[in-house]
Amino acid sequence: MKKIYYSLFILIGVSLILSPTAKAQETYKVGAAIALSGSIAVYGEGFKKAIDLAAEEINGKGGMKGKKIEIVYEDNKSTPKDCVTAVRKLITVDKVPVIIGPAASSNFMATAPVAQESKVVMLSAQGAAPALTKAGEYIFRVFPSDVLQGKGISDLCLQLKYMEVPIMYVNNDWGLGLKNVFVENFKKAGGKVTDEIPYDEKKTDYRTELIRATKGNPKAVVNLTYIVEGSVMFKQAYEMGINTQWICGSAAKAPKLVELAGKTVEGIIGTYPVFSQETKEYQAFRALWTKKYGDAKIPIFGEYNYDMVILIGKAIEKGGYTSDGIRKALFEVAKGYRGVTGDKTFDQDRGVGSEYGVWTVKDGQIIDYKK
Amino acid sequence: MSFLLQSIFNGLLAGCIYALFAMGLTLIYGVLNFVNFAHGELIMWGAYFLYLFMGTPFGFPLPIALIPALFFTILLGIGMDRFAFKPIRQANRLTLLIAALGLSFLLRNGAQLFWGAELRTYGFEIKRGWRILNMSITINQMAIIITTLICIVIVYLLFHRSKLGKSMRAVSDNLELARVSGINTKKAIQFAWILSSALACVGGILLALDTNLQPGMGLINLVKAFAATLLGGVGNLWGALLGGIIIGLAENLGVLVISTGYKDAIAFGIMVILLLLRPPILYGTQE
Repeated sequence: MKKIYYSLFILIGVSLILSPTAKAQETYKVGAAIALSGSIAVYGEGFKKAIDLAAEEINGKGGMKGKKIEIVYEDNKSTPKDCVTAVRKLITVDKVPVIIGPAASSNFMATAPVAQESKVVMLSAQGAAPALTKAGEYIFRVFPSDVLQGKGISDLCLQLKYMEVPIMYVNNDWGLGLKNVFVENFKKAGGKVTDEIPYDEKKTDYRTELIRATKGNPKAVVNLTYIVEGSVMFKQAYEMGINTQWICGSAAKAPKLVELAGKTVEGIIGTYPVFSQETKEYQAFRALWTKKYGDAKIPIFGEYNYDMVILIGKAIEKGGYTSDGIRKALFEVAKGYRGVTGDKTFDQDRGVGSEYGVWTVKDGQIIDYKK
Repeated sequence: MSFLLQSIFNGLLAGCIYALFAMGLTLIYGVLNFVNFAHGELIMWGAYFLYLFMGTPFGFPLPIALIPALFFTILLGIGMDRFAFKPIRQANRLTLLIAALGLSFLLRNGAQLFWGAELRTYGFEIKRGWRILNMSITINQMAIIITTLICIVIVYLLFHRSKLGKSMRAVSDNLELARVSGINTKKAIQFAWILSSALACVGGILLALDTNLQPGMGLINLVKAFAATLLGGVGNLWGALLGGIIIGLAENLGVLVISTGYKDAIAFGIMVILLLLRPPILYGTQE
């Protein structure tokens, strides 16, 4: 019996020491429910680097009102279910007023109602689904909506005179949303969508889908794909001797795609939201990145993640460390703010605008497409 | 036309892989009377073992790396039985099922811890396939078909020509009867694990050669193999082979008509229908 009492005492003692309320808050905690494992961990690693860089930058300049920013990472395991768990944990255990939301629109949209209900601000740096911020006034994005990109891909097809194309897309909120916008715009402009081929994520064999998409040897195929799925597909398409012009969206534009799929992705093209790399903000960011990580290999969406954290920092400084303060201050600090990725002014849907460019792979490098 | 041919070919390919997995699955079922849901992880670890021995620091070429990969997969299979299933051999089937599921999670996450969740390849150069009859066929795909055939022949010979195979068939028919007839059942069970693991390893490697490596690769294919096993009649080795090929073909030909979004649903649709109807031809005799 005595033993049990002793161990109880020790347990209580330990929990008191470890309890977060026991010590005074020395930092402003910001939650980050990002993918550190699972299918899209391939992106998460890059996001973390960008977020860390921004946090370091904020702290290096004296923090916010003298306090430092601290990013509390929580692995969302790349699945909607675990994303919700991660966000819940950040809200209830770490009690953060602001969260960096999960990547992949489906995952983000699974968690958005949770943040909204708990009145915690959540931001996305890469979610592109048109309905991403619909959950409510606490949900923001610093990445442009696919309503813009869908039109961009349609314009690209028309410009290259591909009037009849089949479309393949990842069967989730992002793929479906983008596909719908594309089809709508393309049809309106007089184009014809010959077939629609949804496919599941994370599979290792896409030959059946590829056969169906290239039935009748179309000159071009629109493929709204991610890095991993894209690399598998383009490899298999190459092996199968498929000769067509692949047209992708922004989610495939990554050095990792070339690393995984090698020569098989030569010549594919795609659209992506562009921001000028000539601005002093971009140059400064690039210099910081190179200094910290030793190379200029900036991962996909890295710039957006960086801008997002800087904006969060500014909002905490201006509005205070409460979710309502941050929510209101975000509009003010972002208004006319020129970040690495350009103008970050939030519109009434708490999203941002952008222009679209065209990328291609040439000699293993991702470069701007020139006709 | 070439479109249809190519689909049939792809269906056969997928079928070969499913068949290899289904045969291993049904073998264990036949002998021990439970579905080893951790079989998918044997598949995955088999492929990853090869990856391990081909990469640094070993750097063996493919044919040599095959040997330790096979060895360790078999070891893993036997270990599975020794430490997870043997202690609860007499427990009811639900206990065994849950143990298998738990083991599956453990092994999958273990691989993820080791190699990460990202996609990997053996790093062979990607080549255009040959054009035969207007179909594209790669060297890896030829290897899949040939290896599957070889595996089938070996399994056939073992089962019908060797004493061990015969004793295994006896155990699979009736464990108790086999034991009183003086058959070494322990040895037969162990042999079933060896064969099942070896088939999983070979299948996993072929699958990874043709596609990629990923910790989740075993799971999705296992469910397909399970459908194939059901189709062929659980415990029936040659039924599993046929079931695998039918599932592969059905999947690949099915999407020509319906949306590709439902590709995986086809195998499960077949499975559900079979479970509901239980046609007597499929559930008749056991091999």
